[in-house]
Amino acid sequence: MTTKQHRYEALVQAWSADLYRYAYWLCKDKHVAEDVVQETFLRAWRSLDSLKDEKAAKSWLITILRRENARRFERKQFDMGEYEESTIDDVKATSSEQKIENHWLREKIAALPEEYREPLVLQVLGGFSGDEIAGILSLNKNTVMTRLFRARNQLKELVDEEPKARGFNNG
Amino acid sequence: MDDLQFRRNVYADPSHLDDETRQAIKEDANRESFVSELEALDQDIKQALNIDVPEDLKSKLILKQTFVSHRQQQRKKRVHLALAASVAFVMGLSLKFMQFSSAYNTLSDHALAHVYHEDGVFSNQMPANVTLASLNNKMETFDGSFNGQIGELISAEYCRFDGMKSLHLVYKGITSPVTVFIIPQNKDLEIESSFADENFKGRAVSYQNSNVVIIADENEKLNKWQENVESNIRWST
Repeated sequence: MTTKQHRYEALVQAWSADLYRYAYWLCKDKHVAEDVVQETFLRAWRSLDSLKDEKAAKSWLITILRRENARRFERKQFDMGEYEESTIDDVKATSSEQKIENHWLREKIAALPEEYREPLVLQVLGGFSGDEIAGILSLNKNTVMTRLFRARNQLKELVDEEPKARGFNNG
Repeated sequence: MDDLQFRRNVYADPSHLDDETRQAIKEDANRESFVSELEALDQDIKQALNIDVPEDLKSKLILKQTFVSHRQQQRKKRVHLALAASVAFVMGLSLKFMQFSSAYNTLSDHALAHVYHEDGVFSNQMPANVTLASLNNKMETFDGSFNGQIGELISAEYCRFDGMKSLHLVYKGITSPVTVFIIPQNKDLEIESSFADENFKGRAVSYQNSNVVIIADENEKLNKWQENVESNIRWST
């Protein structure tokens, strides 16, 4: 087995799960997310030689993934404008109460404007710092921090407003 | 730190507060519970974001890549094969070309080389008894004939002249044999009507389908030979 093959498989082992989740929150569809991850890793395989620093692997992969996701829109104009609740799948098996809680919050996160949701996913799920997110999204750090503030602020307000309604809807 | 800035900082990144913000927590009793709330919210967000990943995702990714690189290798193999084939083809072609291309590019060079090659094979002392009929029999190949003998003919044999079937005539000369070639026309060969080197001199007479080249040593009168050839040779086409 070649070294290149080794490196590729190590990347898959280390980062495919994170990338899949990230893709899911970008496109909000399990199947599309899987396709985007497939395309991302194929492209990563082809340009694996350009990845010099393994520490940069994750942000490198995310950069490829964002580009692949953008290409999807170039190829075909998907009707992604309006968010439909039914497309958000409740896929994480937890206790039923937790499940309801997660499902509700997932819908709210999915409903966030993409420019707020993306840095939030990178921070909470990806563990990237403000500077790193700024680098990945090609924004300045202040803009990133403002968007993170607004993302959490919106979610916090929804959480504070909705607990009773949530109980009625789901209980 | 004012409350607005404090809240902004906590909202932006509750799990990585800077020292200044940490210090600010102590300034107000409500701030600590606010931070806890945000941390709890972040936990929920994290849990919500943390969707299940298809179990077979990793194997699918590796499988797909294996197929792609296999295809690439196949393609590379095909390219290599095609490359090897064209190299072989070009080599074959150039070999063929080199084999059959003219080593000499003028008729006279060729004729002289031919004569030198046969140096010593013929001599003036050899019997000259080839008949006109036998000569004309061979001349038929070139659609030509001689009305009469232009000299005492020692030998009349076909030969290869730059790959072309030609007629090689050797006549008795004054001091050494005189060579006459009947050669089919070949546009690749330049014809000089008169030529010479340190041992021999020659004439070439060009007809529609054939060339006649006469080579002799310096003692021969080439004009006489040429006239003889011109007055005796006949072409049927």
